Amino acid sequence: MSIPVHASFESSSLVPVDPRLDGQALATRLQRKYGDRITGTFLIPGSEGRYAPLPADLPPAMVAALRARGIGQLYTHQAEAWDAAQRGEHLVVVTPTASGKTLCYTLPVVAAAMQRQAKALYLFPTKALAQDQVAELLELNRAGELGIKASTFDGDTPGDARQAIRLRGDIVVSNPDMLHQAILPHHTKWAQFFENLQFVVIDEIHTYRGVFGSHVANVLRRLKRICAFYGSTPQFILCSATIGNPKQHAEALIENDVTAITQSGAPTGEKHVLLWNPPVVNVDLGLRASARSQSNRIARLAIKAKLKTLVFAQSRTMVEVLTKYLKDVFDNDPRKPARIRAYRGGYLPTERRTTEKAMRQGFIDGIVSTSALELGVDIGSLDVVILNGYPGSIAATWQRFGRAGRRQQPSLGVMVASSHALDQYVVRHPEFFLQASPEHARLHADQPLILFDHIRCAAFELPFAVGELFGPVDPAVYLEALAESAVVHREGERWEWIADSYPAQAVSLRSVADGNFVVVDRTDGRQTIVAEVDYSAAALTLYEGAIHMVQSAPYQVERLDWEGRKAYVTRTHVDYYTDAIDYTKLKVLERFDGCVAGQGDCHHGEVHVARRVSGYKKIRYYTHENIGYGPVTLPDSELHTTAVWWQLSQQVLLDAFASKQEALDGFIGAAYALHTVAALAVMADGHDLQKSVGSGDGSWFARGDSSGHARASDADGKPILPAQLAIFVPTVFLYDNFPGGIGLSEPLWRRQAELIARATALVGACDCLVGCPACVGPVLASDETSRGASPKQLALRVLERLAVP
Amino acid sequence: MSVSLERLLRLRQQAGLGVGMPARIAPNAAKPQPAGVTIDVLRRLLGTRGRLQTAIEPAAGMHSPDRTLSGEQILPGLFLVDRLLPWPKPCDAIVVDAKTYGPIEPSNALCFDTETTGLAGGAGTRAFMVGISEWTADGLRVRQLLTATLGAEAAMLRTLADWIEPRHVLVSYNGRCYDSPLLATRYRLARMTNPLANLPHADLLFAVRRRYRGVWENCRLGTVERRLLQVVREDDLPGSEAPAAWLRYLRGGDAINLRRVLAHNHQDVVSLMLLLGALAAPGPREGSCDESATALAR
Repeated sequence: MSIPVHASFESSSLVPVDPRLDGQALATRLQRKYGDRITGTFLIPGSEGRYAPLPADLPPAMVAALRARGIGQLYTHQAEAWDAAQRGEHLVVVTPTASGKTLCYTLPVVAAAMQRQAKALYLFPTKALAQDQVAELLELNRAGELGIKASTFDGDTPGDARQAIRLRGDIVVSNPDMLHQAILPHHTKWAQFFENLQFVVIDEIHTYRGVFGSHVANVLRRLKRICAFYGSTPQFILCSATIGNPKQHAEALIENDVTAITQSGAPTGEKHVLLWNPPVVNVDLGLRASARSQSNRIARLAIKAKLKTLVFAQSRTMVEVLTKYLKDVFDNDPRKPARIRAYRGGYLPTERRTTEKAMRQGFIDGIVSTSALELGVDIGSLDVVILNGYPGSIAATWQRFGRAGRRQQPSLGVMVASSHALDQYVVRHPEFFLQASPEHARLHADQPLILFDHIRCAAFELPFAVGELFGPVDPAVYLEALAESAVVHREGERWEWIADSYPAQAVSLRSVADGNFVVVDRTDGRQTIVAEVDYSAAALTLYEGAIHMVQSAPYQVERLDWEGRKAYVTRTHVDYYTDAIDYTKLKVLERFDGCVAGQGDCHHGEVHVARRVSGYKKIRYYTHENIGYGPVTLPDSELHTTAVWWQLSQQVLLDAFASKQEALDGFIGAAYALHTVAALAVMADGHDLQKSVGSGDGSWFARGDSSGHARASDADGKPILPAQLAIFVPTVFLYDNFPGGIGLSEPLWRRQAELIARATALVGACDCLVGCPACVGPVLASDETSRGASPKQLALRVLERLAVP
Repeated sequence: MSVSLERLLRLRQQAGLGVGMPARIAPNAAKPQPAGVTIDVLRRLLGTRGRLQTAIEPAAGMHSPDRTLSGEQILPGLFLVDRLLPWPKPCDAIVVDAKTYGPIEPSNALCFDTETTGLAGGAGTRAFMVGISEWTADGLRVRQLLTATLGAEAAMLRTLADWIEPRHVLVSYNGRCYDSPLLATRYRLARMTNPLANLPHADLLFAVRRRYRGVWENCRLGTVERRLLQVVREDDLPGSEAPAAWLRYLRGGDAINLRRVLAHNHQDVVSLMLLLGALAAPGPREGSCDESATALAR
């Protein structure tokens, strides 16, 4: 195998042309050298650009500005967007990364601002994207001296600038959280803005799904209500990455008819995609090499071939480790500027801006990132994208691959499977991956508790007239409930806010806790902030003793001030990194209600979910051997929430299963199927609703491990064999992943019989032999050939016993 | 290949898979019904959350016999308390901060103070009472408007607007940051022109801070009264309890504390006028002005 490859290297070096390969050549080379690791190859053909002239009714100054920036014509989808906008339609633009989506809304918005003083509100999911947008608008503005005032309005906007933005901003670029908590509750200060608001632009609408999407849809209902008060009815221009149902999702979000523009006119180069399974390194144990080693190797080859390369890793630690390995190869001369950079959440904004800029200018050859680069941050063109592990969804996979191939040249995407069952399933079944349509985005704006929160916020903003609708909903019962707690007061035909509170403060659109931790470097008496870590990640990355890496430079955490939200670190030189050992336990606090479910029962109640970091492992670079442990004493991250759960008695299980292990495997599979049908039933995103299998009294838990089988552990996280469990009443929990619950599990409890029936049908009717990600979860190759009871059969045994006979 | 792709895709359509898995089902078909949310369903849901977050206080059905408010009902739900304190008007223009306001002619000074439903800010906070004081030929006239219903707010705003004239200089204590923006919001919501918008506004909190920060324990109006004006309040209802007093009355409860809010607000606007005099910059008549002010306060 190695000989012909050598030959190909040599022959290419003899050809006196640009030694630079393209994605296609690298794909060919990889296939030749590593054919046995590549389980699937796809070619997505390129396409010619389709163009349209600049619209005749565009203001001349804008035409000049566009020409000054090298834009003499439009892509067809941009022209379509212009036409639809001029017809006054709401529209959603769904075209790939780097297809010039921005112009689809910039043209109508800026033209309207120049011609009729129209104001526009832009909403982006992150501050970084908002800043990019404003930078771009300002450039266009300068190029044509258009006189347009565009500014970001977010938590970082200084107080003295806010007044000017409110009064004079033509384009205000913000985010849904800011609209919800700062703009709408203070709408009177924005009166001039709302009176002239003609466009609302919402980018990356695919991120607004599940509970978050339901919140945002309600924020938009409030926005429209405020606009109506000021006599404006803005037109919505939405953009989305590829999802299965862009038009429908856009319509669910703004509750209006939307014109979908889905055919991109931008030219694309062909894209080669390889599915890569690391080689088996231990035949007896069936162990494969790590995804990391493979991603590292592919990235090295790509960068050496002078291809701009982006590696997506699934965790922040993995970003740092991969960055280090690439830096060890390419950045070993400290006198030269870095060729390899890491990019992830947790870095300071300035650090990220620097990296983005260096990428755009072509100074960086390799970048390693988390999903932070999935969204439309502008980093210029790339040739190769490597996914270190399956991102978990088809849409995210294509979104990431979409980062490559901006230059109308062949590009390459490689998905390297990790040892997780899902990854392994995907590489074993390439057709699953290639032919599946991207996921649908779902939301349920009328979910009662979310609705309640936003009707509360809306009542604060403007009184409700009796009979007034909120979106399509009659808010009467919600207002009555608010009146019962003396929040609103009905007088005559109006419900008015009377409480001394600011309701938007108590309602968070995202389920993230507040309070970022700052990482303070104390090396040599410095006191400088080197990173910022969000609350949810702090316990996992900032425990005392942790190696915290920034651009792969290691810092050791010396002291963690939990209350003060600070971690003090010093620069260190060690040959290892650290990995937290954490486990989650769930305990029932109170049972609200219960019923019989087949031979078992089903309950609804309050649960306590605690995630504990019990210690950490020290892992040596390159060998990845475990060279020690350290203890961690940190408060548990706790969640009080509501849950629905099903259980079967020990006797029923022992009659049905050959062993407790089999019964637990059955529960893991049943939980997977129930989670799938339940998330759909309440229109939740998978993350909104969590599943857990355990004993219910918190004495033990079970998780599907990378082999696809149930592994039980006791309350301290120590492994335990199912056979040793004296009291064996396994329980499937589905709980709201929100403090206090968000109202998902209550309807699930009421629909429990239906869910069991749907889960049974899902598994029973699935055409796979032993189980697959579409029913009971991914299964291993060994299960596909095993003669014992299949994961599918075991799950069905559990579900059938919970079903109404 | 162990799974038929076609079957797999079809099943996925049926199952409509969640995260990580492709789905081709039409989510509309499975859209949960929003209808059927009754107050009982909602109470149960909120009850669940109430147990986890904060308990919701039950609404008390109050029907108190003691609902008398002082003053005269001039419009439906709107009460006016109009009093004259027969004190002599200061003679000269008052200079608080020459750079910012220039001299203020005493008869043009309009001291004002609102009582509100809270400190939360934003469109949901309202003023249920506003008091003003100004010098007339016969002495210091204090007028207070009190809304006894939510609907009377528009009448209160209109009446206040009628009182304000272009010659006026607004005088307040923290009114620049609090009362004035709040009234601006209320006028905006009522779709009326804000009569305060273009008037000069002397916020005495700034002047007090400049002089007494670090000298006194704090710069609250109560401290100013005690240390500078020698005013002592009797049975004063703390400002923080005003929202509850009004809410109680609004929901059918007694007017006891609401009457105390009236007294509190009255003293606020009286003290403001005294403070304006007391802060007068040193000048030929400074002694006498100061003296009269403190004498009056006693």
